[in-house]
Amino acid sequence: MSLELQVWLLLWGTLVGLDLVSVPQMMIARPLVAGPIAGAILGDVGTGLQLGVLFELFQYDILPMGATRYPEYGPATVAAVSAAHAAAGTLGLGLGALVGLITGMAGGLSLHALRQLNTRAVRRAAAALDGGDARRLERLHAASIVRDAGRAAVVTALGLVLAQVARAYLAGALPPHGVALLNVAAVGAALAAGTAGTLRLVGRGPGLRWFAAGVAGGAIVAWLR
Amino acid sequence: MSRPAVHARPGLVRSLLRLFTVQGSWNYERMQGVGIGVAEEPLLRDLRAEVGDDGVAYRAAVARGAHFFNAHPYLCGLAVGAAARAEHDGVPPEQVERLRTALCGPLGSLGDRLVWAGWLPLTSALALIGVALGLGLPAVLGFVVVYNVGHVALRWWALRAGWTYGARVAQALREPLLQRATALSGPAMALGVGAALPLVAQYLSGALFGWARLALAGVVAGGFALLWWQRRRLTGLRLGLALLAVAALAGWLWP
Repeated sequence: MSLELQVWLLLWGTLVGLDLVSVPQMMIARPLVAGPIAGAILGDVGTGLQLGVLFELFQYDILPMGATRYPEYGPATVAAVSAAHAAAGTLGLGLGALVGLITGMAGGLSLHALRQLNTRAVRRAAAALDGGDARRLERLHAASIVRDAGRAAVVTALGLVLAQVARAYLAGALPPHGVALLNVAAVGAALAAGTAGTLRLVGRGPGLRWFAAGVAGGAIVAWLR
Repeated sequence: MSRPAVHARPGLVRSLLRLFTVQGSWNYERMQGVGIGVAEEPLLRDLRAEVGDDGVAYRAAVARGAHFFNAHPYLCGLAVGAAARAEHDGVPPEQVERLRTALCGPLGSLGDRLVWAGWLPLTSALALIGVALGLGLPAVLGFVVVYNVGHVALRWWALRAGWTYGARVAQALREPLLQRATALSGPAMALGVGAALPLVAQYLSGALFGWARLALAGVVAGGFALLWWQRRRLTGLRLGLALLAVAALAGWLWP
C-alpha cells in the first residue's frame, strides 16, 4: 500500500475520531460510514462495507452516555479495512476484526486520557473562567479540540501500523480452516454483541414485541432471497 | 428588569455553529460546561453594551455559562438559549444557575431516549438493511443525510426554543411533536434493528460454508448468552478479542 494512501487513511481516521465526541457529531464516526469511505480510498468498497457492517454491530453494544468509558470503533474500522484490504479474500474479515478491536480498545483508553488532560487544562484556567474571560474560554475550548484531533491521528496511525504488522506476519501464517475459524469468531462476536446491545436498549416492555416482529420480518426476507 | 436582545438572529446562528463543538472540551470537572459557555457567548454580547456597567454583567454571565453542565449534546442548545435569554431578561444569577442545573437531567434523559436509543440506531439499522440487500454505498450516504436532517433540525429547534421560552423553557419540553417522537422512536428502533439482524447475519456469513456456518450459529448463541448473563463484566469488545484469540490459536494448532 502506497504512502499516499496511508496518508489519506490517516486523514480520514482523524476526521472520524474528531466526529465521535468533539465536532460535529454527524456520525461519520459510525463504522458503517467510516468503513466504506476507507474502502473507497483504497478502491475496495466491498471490504469497507463488510467491516463497516461488522463493527456497526459491535457499536450497538455501546450507549455513549455521560462519563461512561467505551471503545472507539471509528478509526478502528479504518485500520481494520486497511488490514483486510491487502490480506484479500476471506482472510480479510477476521484479520480486520482483530486489528480493529485492538485499535478500538486503544481509542477508548486515549479518550479517557484526553478527558484527564482537558480536566487539568480547565483547572489551570479556573480563575480566568470564573472571571468571565471569554477569550480564555474560547482558547481553552479550541486547544481541547486540537488535542482531540492529535489523539485521533495517533490512534489511527497506531491502527495503521498494527494493520501493516498483521498483514506482514499473520496473513500467511494461518491455514484455510484457521482463516475460517477467525472469520467465524469475528462475525459471531459481532452478531452476539449487536443482539445483546439492542436487547439491553429494548428492555422487557412492549419494545420487545416490536423487536421480535422485526427479527421475524428480517428472517423471512433473508429466507426469500 | 428586562434588557432588549438587539442582535438575536446572528447570535443564534453563531451559537448554533458553536454548539456543533459543544463536547470539544469535555472533561471530568465541568463536563460540557466549557463548550456550553463558548456556545452561549455570542448570545451574551449585547450585555457588553450596557451603559455604566463596564462589561460586568457580560463577564458574570460568561462565567456562569462555563460552569458544570452535562446533557445530551444535541439538546444542549435548549439550555444555552434559555440561560442566555434569562440573562437578558434580568433573571437573578442564582435562578439562572438553578435553571441550568434543573435542565441537565431532563435534557440528558430525553436526548438519550430520542437520539441514542431511537433515531440513531433506527437510521443505522435501515442503512444496514440497505447494505445487506445490496444497495451498497448509497445506503450509507442515505444514512448520513437522513440522520443529519434530524440531527441539525433538533439542534436548531432546541436553541430557538430555549431562546424563545427563556426561564419558562420547561414548556418547550412538553411540545406534542417531541412527546410523540420520543414515544415512537423506541418501538421503531426495535423493529428496525430486529429486521436488520437476520439480514446482516446472512450478508456477513455469505463466505462461510458447511461446518463454519454451524460453528457460527453456536458462537452467536454462546456469545449472546455470555454477554447477557455477564453484562456487568463482559463487553462486546472483550468477547470479540477473546474469541479471536481462541480461534487464532485453534486454527494454528489444527493439523
